[in-house]
Parts: sequence; C-alpha cells; structure tokens
Amino acid sequence: MTVLTILLLACITFATRYLFIHPGFPIRLNARAQKFLSYSAPSVLTAIWVPIILTKNHQLAITASSPYLWGAMVAMIMAWKTKSIYLTAAAGGSVFVAVYMFNIH
Amino acid sequence: MKLKNRDKQLALVKGVLDMLPLSLAILPWGILVGSLAVQQGFSAWEAQLMSALVFAGAAQLVAIELISQNASLLTLMITIFVISSRHFLYGLTLRDKLKALPVKSRLATGFVLTDELFALSGHARSYSTPLRIYYGLAAGFSMYLAWNCWTFIGIVAGSYLPDLTDIGLDFAIAVTFIALVMPSIKSWSILAAVVGAGASATLLNLASVELELIIAALVGMSLGYGLSFLDKAQDKCMEKEV
Repeated sequence: MTVLTILLLACITFATRYLFIHPGFPIRLNARAQKFLSYSAPSVLTAIWVPIILTKNHQLAITASSPYLWGAMVAMIMAWKTKSIYLTAAAGGSVFVAVYMFNIH
Repeated sequence: MKLKNRDKQLALVKGVLDMLPLSLAILPWGILVGSLAVQQGFSAWEAQLMSALVFAGAAQLVAIELISQNASLLTLMITIFVISSRHFLYGLTLRDKLKALPVKSRLATGFVLTDELFALSGHARSYSTPLRIYYGLAAGFSMYLAWNCWTFIGIVAGSYLPDLTDIGLDFAIAVTFIALVMPSIKSWSILAAVVGAGASATLLNLASVELELIIAALVGMSLGYGLSFLDKAQDKCMEKEV
C-alpha cells in the first residue's frame, strides 16, 4: 500500500516538473511571457531563503542575537562581492556558527 | 554531434562541482527524511524508494507526516501537488530550452529538475549543445545521488543522530540560495522582484498560507516585470553586446 502511495506521489512530482517541457504540450510563450518568466529564478529562490532567515515556526524571528540574520548579512555581502558560492557558504557559515556558539555560552 | 570523451569528462566534473555545495546543503534534510520515515513506520526499503522516486525534499517531509497521521489519499495528493506546483514555473521558464532535447535527455532532465538544478540553468545558452545537456544531467544526477546517500544515512543512523534541522542546519540551504541569487541581481527590476518575493514570502509564511512559495514568486515576478521599464537603457546596452 505504501509503495503504491509512493508511486503516486512520484507521478505527481514528476508531472509538475515535466509537463511544461513536453514539446507536445499546447502552449506557446510569447516574448512578454518569456520576460515575465525571466524573473522566476531569483523570485522563487528568494521566496525560499528569506523565510528561513526571518521566521521560525511561522513567527517573526528578527533579533540582534539571531545567527540566521548575521550569517545571511555576511553571506549577502560576500556573494555580491565575490560571486563565489564556496566563499559565500564559508563566510556565512562561519558567522552563523560563531553567533550560534556565542549564544550558547 | 558526437561528444569527445575528454569534453564529456570536463562537463561531468564541472556539473558535479557546481552542484556540490547544493548537494552538501541538503544533507541535514536528507538525513531528516530518512530518519523520520523510519520513525514513522516506513520500512527502510520504502523510505529509500521514496527518495529514489519522488526526489523532492519538502514534499517528502510533508508526505511522511501525512501518511503517518493516516491522512486521506486525496489530502496527501493535493498537498503534494501544492508543494510541487512551483515546478510548473521551472518547466515554463525552461520550456523553450528543454522541449527541443532528445526524448531520453528531456525525461531525465525533467526527473531531476529540482530548485537547485533550476538555479544552475539560468545561463542564456544552457541546454543548447549536447555538452551543455550533459553538464545539466551531471549536475542534476549528482544531486540525486547525494540526496539518496543522505537519506540512506538517515535510515541507518537516524535514531542515533539529533535533528540536524533543529540546530539550525536549514541555514545551509539559505546560504547557498543567497550565493545563487545575489550575483543574478543585475538590474533594478530583478532587485524589485527579489525584494517583493522575499517580503511577500515572509508575510505569507507568518500567515501560514499554503501556497506561500508560488504566490510570493508570482508577486516578485509581477513586480520585476512591471518595473522592467526601469532598466530599458540597460537592456539596450546588453543587446549591443550580444
């Protein structure tokens, strides 16, 4: 039974990923639609990461001692300056851990 | 066009390396998915099968919770559909690039079209040559392998490990996404899209709105599109370069 459920869920996730890249799907994107969609990557990714930083269990979590906030600020500056995902992760991660440890002690 | 082995190797290495930080960032979630599934009564085999076939972090976590609560199949399907609906945006955005792919590559790319692979697919010429298709598949499937390894660790060691997301390791996802988004802010309209999406996602999250992600994304996209007149001059410069 569980296996059938898993198969069904797999069909749903695959369908949402594949539907619009199927050549036979009857849709044509004009230039305006393309332009609109060109904003999808930064928008979706930001809609994922900002709530991780600013909220906890659907409550606002903006405090001066938040490791998320400090880590994110350093990461944003680092990403903007270096464009390197490795340097950004290293800098943001270090600050996150430092503030996290500072809070515990 | 036949690919040279050396070029293929380079594309493979580049794909895996570009994806590596993202593959590592999902480690806490992969372990959580594996351990939670076993704790909620899935067999080890079923837990692994889920990661192998569904391959979607948030959807799997919610599905495990719902199945363990004996939610109805309909509830389960609708919830998973809602969580997965953001993929429609990815498919639409990449449609003109991916619809021309050979059927096997297209199905395979579709299967591994995660948030992360979508984030790596932004280049104007992505998927436009066999080598670039190969690069995308290498990136996508390296993350697939990683996800399944992390799930496996969670299944085996889950009950001995603390909840890694509880000690803040969801920050790993956030920091990699910051690294992906910041360099892409090249115009005022993209900045508007990002600010709009981030602010509305936070507000919707506080209000516990189910379709949080896709609504926030659409708000951001509308803002960006609506304000795209701000960077008309910039567009013209870009066109000259191309």
